[in-house]
Amino acid sequence: MALARADLESLLRARQLDRTLTTALPSIDPRDEHALAPSEISALDARLGGGFPRGQISELIGPRSSGRTSLLLRMMAAATARGELVALVDALDMLDVESAAAAGIDFERLLWIRGHVVTNSGLCRELNQRAIEQAIRAFTLVLQAGNFGLVVFDVAEAPADAVRRLPFTTWLRLQRMVEGSQTACVLVGGEAMARSSAGLTLQLGLGVRSSGLGAQGLGPRAQGSELRFSERLFDGIDVHARIVRARAREQEDACVALSTSA
Amino acid sequence: MSSMPSALSPQPLYACLYRPPSSDAAAGSIITLIAIAQEFSPRYERHRDDLVSVDVSGLTRLLGPARTIGEEMRREAAARGMRANVAVAGTRMATLLLAQARPGLTVIEPGQEAAALAPLSLALLGKLEERKLEERSEKLEGKLQSSDFQLQTSDFILQTSKRWGLKTLGELAALPAADLVSRLGRSARTWQAIARGEDLQPLVPMVEEERFEASLDLEWPIAELEPLSFVLTRLLEPLSTRLERRDRGAAVLHVLLRLVTRETCARRLELPTPMRDVRALRTLALLDLEAHPAEAAIDRVTIVIDPTPGRVVQHTLYTRTQPTPEQLSTLLARLGALMGADRYGVPVSVDTDRPGAFAMAAFATDHEGRNQPSRLRSSETPPSFGEARQSAEGAAAAALSPQPLTISPQPFENAPPLVSALRRCRQPVPARVMVADGRPVRVTTDRRGFTGGAVTRCAGPWRTSGNWWAGEAGQAGQAGRESPVQPPIPPLQPVLPVLPSWDRDEWDVSLGDGAGYRVFRDRATDRWFIDAIVD
Repeated sequence: MALARADLESLLRARQLDRTLTTALPSIDPRDEHALAPSEISALDARLGGGFPRGQISELIGPRSSGRTSLLLRMMAAATARGELVALVDALDMLDVESAAAAGIDFERLLWIRGHVVTNSGLCRELNQRAIEQAIRAFTLVLQAGNFGLVVFDVAEAPADAVRRLPFTTWLRLQRMVEGSQTACVLVGGEAMARSSAGLTLQLGLGVRSSGLGAQGLGPRAQGSELRFSERLFDGIDVHARIVRARAREQEDACVALSTSA
Repeated sequence: MSSMPSALSPQPLYACLYRPPSSDAAAGSIITLIAIAQEFSPRYERHRDDLVSVDVSGLTRLLGPARTIGEEMRREAAARGMRANVAVAGTRMATLLLAQARPGLTVIEPGQEAAALAPLSLALLGKLEERKLEERSEKLEGKLQSSDFQLQTSDFILQTSKRWGLKTLGELAALPAADLVSRLGRSARTWQAIARGEDLQPLVPMVEEERFEASLDLEWPIAELEPLSFVLTRLLEPLSTRLERRDRGAAVLHVLLRLVTRETCARRLELPTPMRDVRALRTLALLDLEAHPAEAAIDRVTIVIDPTPGRVVQHTLYTRTQPTPEQLSTLLARLGALMGADRYGVPVSVDTDRPGAFAMAAFATDHEGRNQPSRLRSSETPPSFGEARQSAEGAAAAALSPQPLTISPQPFENAPPLVSALRRCRQPVPARVMVADGRPVRVTTDRRGFTGGAVTRCAGPWRTSGNWWAGEAGQAGQAGRESPVQPPIPPLQPVLPVLPSWDRDEWDVSLGDGAGYRVFRDRATDRWFIDAIVD
């Protein structure tokens, strides 16, 4: 016998899994400046309705060299410039301090937690699994401490299977922890992790920087694979950001073109 | 309205204990002087290591007249093996001067202080001034300019008085006050009051620092942390209440565990900020004991707290709430237990050209008093990894390369551009690189997760080298960029350790799959490595 949607929803609520419902997350008042964490990139913030939502899990996903780290460092710099404390759980210990300094991050307000992931684990792949689980525990501790403005969990270069093996309830639990707080929680990965627990998912991909198109008018088809090089210099990356999930917003599937400089 | 009747308020009476200089340095100490003072009154003030004044008002009803009190004091000093001068008078200033000027016991009837001081030498004022200067120096913490000014003033007054032919305190006290001030300034009134034996300020009694300690003997020894947490809570709660009443916080938490083997396990936790929250203190103690467990079961637990003045924080409505120092201290302790002491903190840029170099410093737990944040400004941001090369390339090369160094559209007028970032491989990944015409054309590696492929675009080479004096070259592929042995949480600026030399040619490459890497050739070994991922 097929269950009606209302029955399913009532069952989920009874089991306290109602946050998996698409309508469960509280709406965000766009006039409330404390409900959003701006990235200080006006094109992106405009598409996001003001910035990344606080009290929700946001995802920053994309393939290698898609500009995830550049965007992440900008978000962290903006948060520290606002006087907020930022925590970065760097599961693979890959933060480049020079890049972070160039992005303008106030290091005094950055708590950097470095994971123990083994880069060449060989046959001991369980080591990395345990290391990611350890990073999740550190991430949980930071969220429990509370009052951080931005908390980032970075597993962008982790093997996809290691991330997939994390229990689904992990993200539900994290969503419960961050809900109602002033913390913007960001996951950085190669692919979507939090699934239905995520409030916002921003998919980054490489895009062709076209002078003929408006920066915000690029569609998802306008994708390329080139980093920008000049005569003898690496110039930067043309980043194509696509909002694939924004549960607290009306606009979904909007695209933004960004470009980084070296 | 009249003042309080004399029957209810005892006549002020002060005594002073002075230990004259002795060849036998061990004949007495300030501890002995204080112990003598404590025998007579809880209200005493230490002026110097050899000078203590005591408020003995009201003791006449217990011991008898002032002379008896003085004799009792001398007897007490003698019993403790100390030869002390004792002066008893109605003002504290008079006793201070008399005890230093006259040996043995001096007793002055109340109201006769000025007359008793009159024949004493003016040089006594110099001794008082020395002490006052010491006090001021302690308060001012090295603001010598102010102290020097005061010293000149007292010297000036004393020398001027001598030039006028004044030799005793009585002569100074007898001068017309208005004329004296007009010639020597306001401070002359103070010196004249001292010469008359008048008190300039009330006695400030020394309060012995309360000891915050609690112990519990256990009927059954404890071997695990969980039951110990209840014991710690029981001990810490009353201590926290006492700290709160005294407006004190814990600076250092000592946990002393007596084991069944009759040994003592002592742990000392230096807290980053004064705190008295029971949960935070208990958690910190437990985390420390988890990392350093006792070797046997515990049958006695003692907590000792070194107090420090409490932390006063004024919150505002207009700034974002920050985690409290208690929350951050607990978080850092938990992170240390989980990740290791060297795996969290604040990144610090170091003064070196070594690619990827950094150091770690302790994360501050008190951000309330820090400077207000400032908005991002492009002029304040340090140069990105490309800007250094840009400058090295020179103006001509910069002119050749179009620089669309802006976000599109420009987000804020003063916001810096979105800079490209790297993801560092702490241990560079060994790679195989095919080179044609001096440029890499294909990059492959055996490392899982790095697919490799044909090079579509590249920039380089950029040659860097350094630390050639430190040792063997060619260890670039093995050397971590950070300190190999890091202090747990260095309190000060980290010190860059001596690292091996490096000598490399770097390339920024873009592969066919769209990924960008920074690769380098180690010139000493002619081996290639992937150093970072452009992201």
